[in-house]
Amino acid sequence: MDSGVAFKRRLYMPRTSMTTEGNRTGSWRFLRPRYEEKTSPCSAACPVGEDIPRVEMLVTQGAFKEAWETILLENPLPGVCGRVCFHPCEGKCNRKDFDTPVAIHTLERFLSDTAFRNETKPVLPRRPPTGKRVAVVGSGPAGLSAAWFLTILGYECDVLEAMEEAGGLLRWGIPEYRLPRSELQREIGRIVDEGVRIHTGERVKKERFEELRTRYDALLLGCGLWKNRPLGISGEDVPGVEDGLTFLRRVRGGERPAVGGVNAIIGGGNTAVDVARSVVRLGGEAVIVYRRRREDMPAFFEEIEGALEEGVEIKELLAPSSIAARNGGLVLTLRRMMIEGKDKDGRGRIVPAGTETLSLEVARVFVATGADTAETWHLPPAGNDKTIRLSRCLLSFEEGVPVAYVGDLAGGDLNVTAAIASGKEAVMALDSYFKGGCGTILEDLSSCRVGDGTSLSMEIYLGGARKARSRHVVTYEEINTDYFSFEPRITQPRLLPDERRLSFDEIEMKLSAGTAMREAGRCFNCGICNGCDNCWLYCPDVAVIRQRRSGERLIDYNYCKGCGLCVVECPRNAMALEEEGGS
Amino acid sequence: MEAADRELMCSGHVGCPGCGATIAMRFFLKALGEKAVMVLPACCWSVIAGPFPQSSIKIPVIHAAFETGGATATGVRAALDMRGDTETTVVTWAGDGGTFDIGFQALSGAVERNEDFIYVCYDNEAYMNTGIQRSSSTPYGAWTTTTTGSDWKKLRKKNIVEALVAHRIPYAATANIAFPEDLMRKVKKAKAVKGSRFIHVFASCPTGWRIPSEMSVKIARMAVQTNIFPLYEVEDGVRYTINYKPREYLVREYFKLQGRFRHLSDADLDAIQEMVDEDWHLLLRKAGERA
Repeated sequence: MDSGVAFKRRLYMPRTSMTTEGNRTGSWRFLRPRYEEKTSPCSAACPVGEDIPRVEMLVTQGAFKEAWETILLENPLPGVCGRVCFHPCEGKCNRKDFDTPVAIHTLERFLSDTAFRNETKPVLPRRPPTGKRVAVVGSGPAGLSAAWFLTILGYECDVLEAMEEAGGLLRWGIPEYRLPRSELQREIGRIVDEGVRIHTGERVKKERFEELRTRYDALLLGCGLWKNRPLGISGEDVPGVEDGLTFLRRVRGGERPAVGGVNAIIGGGNTAVDVARSVVRLGGEAVIVYRRRREDMPAFFEEIEGALEEGVEIKELLAPSSIAARNGGLVLTLRRMMIEGKDKDGRGRIVPAGTETLSLEVARVFVATGADTAETWHLPPAGNDKTIRLSRCLLSFEEGVPVAYVGDLAGGDLNVTAAIASGKEAVMALDSYFKGGCGTILEDLSSCRVGDGTSLSMEIYLGGARKARSRHVVTYEEINTDYFSFEPRITQPRLLPDERRLSFDEIEMKLSAGTAMREAGRCFNCGICNGCDNCWLYCPDVAVIRQRRSGERLIDYNYCKGCGLCVVECPRNAMALEEEGGS
Repeated sequence: MEAADRELMCSGHVGCPGCGATIAMRFFLKALGEKAVMVLPACCWSVIAGPFPQSSIKIPVIHAAFETGGATATGVRAALDMRGDTETTVVTWAGDGGTFDIGFQALSGAVERNEDFIYVCYDNEAYMNTGIQRSSSTPYGAWTTTTTGSDWKKLRKKNIVEALVAHRIPYAATANIAFPEDLMRKVKKAKAVKGSRFIHVFASCPTGWRIPSEMSVKIARMAVQTNIFPLYEVEDGVRYTINYKPREYLVREYFKLQGRFRHLSDADLDAIQEMVDEDWHLLLRKAGERA
């Protein structure tokens, strides 16, 4: 037996001596993945272009201060907008096609509440002082927004307010139960803390305005619409007929007018609904009389729903034809209307339905059918070669210093958020004008657009990280829903209708941090990277590198074979795949 | 360090773009750790692991003959035991051909002896490395280069997990590259168990399945979502746990995305749906659950 022979010879064990990293498999690639953040539909729908997917991402992480600051860079009034904005963002939320939209407005308000409770001071990017001074007439949402952004861009800013307290419509128009005075004061206080000077009790007449032209480098006019539009029917001046805006202003001034009996409110906008709900709180009965149908009412849906819950009655398709005093009360004569075809704006066109009339015996009539400028010179000049009309404001270079007409004066959408957007747009346009003259304004503003709409981003204007995002608005089909599960939207805690009728207390109650974080976690974060690391995890070629320090992710094109898995497995479309060597 | 952050696979390997088997290996090694020896019978990974003297994985590998996955692991385990090394885990990493067909007797023998090792079958449902020939893992309805045209495979896929469960091994489980957390949890669990452990990993193959490379994880996920490849584990051959109860997706959603199933008619797809439902209900019964 020579079995020892095999054991005497050493077994040859081949050993590997190198990794496969010498093979540059990137040469196989004909498609190239790359990181490309895109625009979310909510932020494109937001009139002020808030960076909503990023805000929700930060809330999910518990970074409430950073989330709040992210909003403040685009909107100085999150506490106001979280309460009174009609949140078009939620209507465009991609999550609506999955289960229900994220409660974006509730989270916005939560961030504002939290910041104020913790007395957080925001830290925002600011440009160095320009040495230029700008006067803002009116301290409503447009004026406050303009003042805030002027300050951020290094302008000295004086706000002139006619009333004894700042806020414009926010202070004197919107009822307390929607927007508590204390919340508004805190928001304005923060704007003042940034260096804005607000001079209250300074009503600017035409002469004063002319004088301001000589003392400032630019003027912004944002004094809103405060003159009730008359109905143009007989009996409009009978005692007992009041205009809605004046009534709201009196209530917000602390008066508690007697409203016993039935009160007819003519109109279908937010002012009409605000008046009706205020009447209910003061102990009266409220009937909204509207010449179109309920679904045509320009008032926000939630407001109408709330009013109905509180016992407000809505009578539709009735147009007032006359008012007369009788037996200490009023008789309102109404004409029945019907829908026939469509108006230019797509709403049903109304025509009288025969000659039938209807009488309504009421104690009082409130007219809330729209408002006009208080003085004619508030109106912007007609378009000519010395004016520039932008999406939400109008700039005039007619007489010396530029004048910007903002907010409701500029026409267009009449709501708080649109007014804030208008002030912001005007400030960007003025800044662009001071830097490069009239010729650069359109181009500069166009480069700050959020997505495909008219919303503008201050972060982009300041050259922030958001500038790198693509304008492409992420669609629901582009979301990889395999990474999301059905979660019900939070139910906003509210006062009961019976409780609401008793006082002007705020209806919507506060949210806990845990609930807010859970709700924010429902957000798809469309188009932005939230560091989920799917790209890194699924890469078959180990070609995604995570920078430990910066948290950034990079693709190692030495090895990436261009399979495209990372792009498909990115849940939120924050990556793109393009042809190798293409544009 | 988090297991998921551990990286024991290298770039530069020659797996096809979007290869599910490489994703499977990457996750497996993350959960397994470095203290292991891997036996690789002939399969795609024999190539992906690198030509000598390169290696694309950072643990020792023994390339073995096609039919010897179970036997080689038995020998490696015995050798380690003789040296007193009980710490090192022995793993066999085989394809479906080396598991369902060619390596089945060695595997069956090894697990019958309850050899102490983990056997992973990464299943891409055909002999992909040699040119997409059908295996006993190829599903009903599939085209391969040996089941072409109207001769597409009209036999059901062998249920390998149940065959292993019949050996009453301590741990058997299915896993899928689209469910990394579940996969890594099962690997860690298997590592902690003594005796024969079997993990059946569903690993899509863009080349052989005629699918775009970027869809390979999506399609693997759909195999779970449609109940074609349920995620479950069986302990000691009797205790069943179903890990994922999908929403009811139709199997045709999965089939219509893949070129290998393009020839199937609606009637064929209905028949397949019935087979899948039948298998799923059988599994539910074994797990003592209701639909």
